[in-house]
Amino acid sequence: MKVFHWLIVGAFAVALAGCTQYVTKEEFAPKMYSDHPTTILVLPPINKSTAADAKEYYATTVAEPLTNSGYYVFPMEVVYDILQQEGLFDTETMMNVPVQKFKEFFGADAVLYVTIEQWDTKYFLTAGSVTVKAACELKSTSTGDVLWFYDDAVEVNTSGESGGATGLAGLLVKAVTTAIKTATQSYIPLARDASAKMFLAMPSGKYNKQYNVDQKAKIEKKKAQTKDQQAEKKK
Amino acid sequence: MRTFAFFSFLSALLFVGCATTDKTFYWGDYSETLYDFKKSPDEKTLKAHSDQLLLIISEAPNKNKPVPPGVYAEYGYILLKQGKETEGMGYLDKEMGLYPESIVFIKRIKSEYARGKK
Repeated sequence: MKVFHWLIVGAFAVALAGCTQYVTKEEFAPKMYSDHPTTILVLPPINKSTAADAKEYYATTVAEPLTNSGYYVFPMEVVYDILQQEGLFDTETMMNVPVQKFKEFFGADAVLYVTIEQWDTKYFLTAGSVTVKAACELKSTSTGDVLWFYDDAVEVNTSGESGGATGLAGLLVKAVTTAIKTATQSYIPLARDASAKMFLAMPSGKYNKQYNVDQKAKIEKKKAQTKDQQAEKKK
Repeated sequence: MRTFAFFSFLSALLFVGCATTDKTFYWGDYSETLYDFKKSPDEKTLKAHSDQLLLIISEAPNKNKPVPPGVYAEYGYILLKQGKETEGMGYLDKEMGLYPESIVFIKRIKSEYARGKK
């Protein structure tokens, strides 16, 4: 019996150890707290993954978690329609527009550039999982500086602790909802949760209760190290 | 018994880390109907999406939440494209009223619309 107890203690130690390396949001993204962007324009993502639908999944699910993080997000369909009327049809062309132009043209404080590097979906009856690796960069339209970035993989699934559902009841409801939706639509909640998970590492915007009080909130240090490595690369 | 209590406490600690807060906005099935429209843009999928936008607008107050950013604007834009000018402009103004930071964007939609009419 004693052995069993120690096994459990060990298991908890492992679970907790996984969360030890932290950095605060302010240390990670100080410019978010000085620049205070309110409006974010999300450009269509560049899809480098093998999943043909990854771009559509991302583009249709990103607004919900990003607004819930507290930002004014421009309705992407309207923005792309207007950009097309201006003669900008493909993602690469839009990405090459000087970032300041988006302030002038739409009133965007910041622009989110996204490259999807990996998008692996698994789906079986009521359960599914998506592993998304994306490089996101939020750039200020007034200074051109990178305010926040994310470059990591997240995995979400309907049976685990992904963003949306709370508690067991939430998970049950979620599984049922997943089951009744069509096969293609069933990836949508997962795609949304993947974005939501990435935005957990972002300081909150003015429509979130955590706005301007989450400086000391902790996020995994792994991401900060990625930042240092990126800075090194740029030198 | 005490060991049990101790582990319950530890478990509780772990779960606290996973607790999610109440979301700021209600988005209904926005992603689903928009995805369908993007995959096969036709009258049916457009109607389903614009109906969904209208549903979000009517449901938000019932949930004690503001209409999410961009929803009034997107709905108004669809109406404009359908030639429903007065109604469409009304929704664009609602977006600007609720989210004053959208003023440059809304003015852009209006000027593009005026340009298209010529």
